[in-house]
Amino acid sequence: MEKDLDGRFERLEKALNNMIDSVVKNNPSEQLAEELVAAQDDVMAGLKLLETHQNNYARIQQLRREVSRYDDQIKDIINSLWQMRKELVAVTATPPGGSKYQFTTEELLTFARQISRKTLPLPGVLNSYLDANTARPAEPESQTAQTPNTSFNFGLSNASIGTPGPMSASTPNTAANDTTTQQTSQLPPSQPYTKPPTTEEKLPAHLKPAVNPLLEASFQPWPTAEQIRSGALADIQRLVDKGIDPKNYDPAEEERKRVAEEQAKKEAEEQARREREEAERRMREERERMARERERARQMEAVASGAGGRGAERRDSVAVGMGRAANKPKQFTFLGADDDDEDDEDD
Amino acid sequence: MDSGPMSVDSSTLDPPAPPKNTTDEPKYGGHSRFELELEFVQSLANPLYLNYLASRKFLTNPAFVAYLDYLQYWTRPPYLKYLTHPTASLKMLQLLQKEKFRQDIMSPDLAQAMMVEGVKAAVEWHREP
Repeated sequence: MEKDLDGRFERLEKALNNMIDSVVKNNPSEQLAEELVAAQDDVMAGLKLLETHQNNYARIQQLRREVSRYDDQIKDIINSLWQMRKELVAVTATPPGGSKYQFTTEELLTFARQISRKTLPLPGVLNSYLDANTARPAEPESQTAQTPNTSFNFGLSNASIGTPGPMSASTPNTAANDTTTQQTSQLPPSQPYTKPPTTEEKLPAHLKPAVNPLLEASFQPWPTAEQIRSGALADIQRLVDKGIDPKNYDPAEEERKRVAEEQAKKEAEEQARREREEAERRMREERERMARERERARQMEAVASGAGGRGAERRDSVAVGMGRAANKPKQFTFLGADDDDEDDEDD
Repeated sequence: MDSGPMSVDSSTLDPPAPPKNTTDEPKYGGHSRFELELEFVQSLANPLYLNYLASRKFLTNPAFVAYLDYLQYWTRPPYLKYLTHPTASLKMLQLLQKEKFRQDIMSPDLAQAMMVEGVKAAVEWHREP
């Protein structure tokens, strides 16, 4: 580029010198002047070219800078990636080969819902714990902190007796509770109207659970002793204590069986009673029928014998009287009939 | 409960089926084996219960130890999801596999300390940032 420009300048200089010479010699030549103009145009074109060249060069420089910046950036990224990879490799998260179980989101949510109440105390309990924690650090345990060795005894003997065990770990807490309750109960007699009650409104102790259901609530991240004592295993223990083999023994089933048996027994009794009544009724009807037949037979006989003598009438009346008498005590009906027959035969 | 020899021969038992076809299964006092074992594993979460078991010499009974080993099926699906106190239950079950812990839990002090720690952890775990 420089050589090209130098050439053009030389040409311009030469043309200019020639022109000057010709002017100095007072012999200007048109040809020289045109040469000078052409040389000048040439230089101008060269300068234009130079400008383009410079612009291009600047552009190249700029691009180079960008390239180097991006190169640095790439290097940084690669460097940090490498670092990251090194850290990742260094982290030993789960031991390889550890158990990984498949589960669905729904299962996970169900499980979370199921355990949420058991793993985190309700806000009220939490607050009371935190309050108590500042004053009495071991407050929540106080309710279950009685005598570890005896608190799970299922037997009748132990259930009824709240044995104060050899362990005295619970005594400070329970004592603390006791003192609070005693304070509340003893407050009115100890300070009767000496100190006017402050504007602070205090509910009587027996009304507190009504406004705050969580008052007595406690939280333990495991099943409580009461829950264990009222569970199925305790049921079985009670069965064993009664001498019943719990295997294949279902109290509900047994109860159902017992009720069914009673029902069947009742029904059988009812059935027997009905049958007895039915038999009695049939017997009564039979007797009445026979009595009616006998009556009819007697009347027929009376008609057949016509307006017989007095004896016949007397016998009839006797027979009727006997029939009436026989109708009253029913067990003599057949005897009466027999008598009648004999009477008839005798006649 | 009696601390005599246990009648549970857990070595030959497979874990009970999860509750779906429990109709023809033998029942114990009206409860299925699944229910009973679930309840027992959950109960193990209570340190005082463990102390009670230890004090009744259950934890030194080889049959009972074998039963505890057998109960580890609760660490696997599909049984895992039925635990309502999974952390405490499974941790205790894990601890109970160690003989030292089975001996140490005889101490009421340890049970008491575990209770205090357990409640503290349960209350405070979510407060951490």
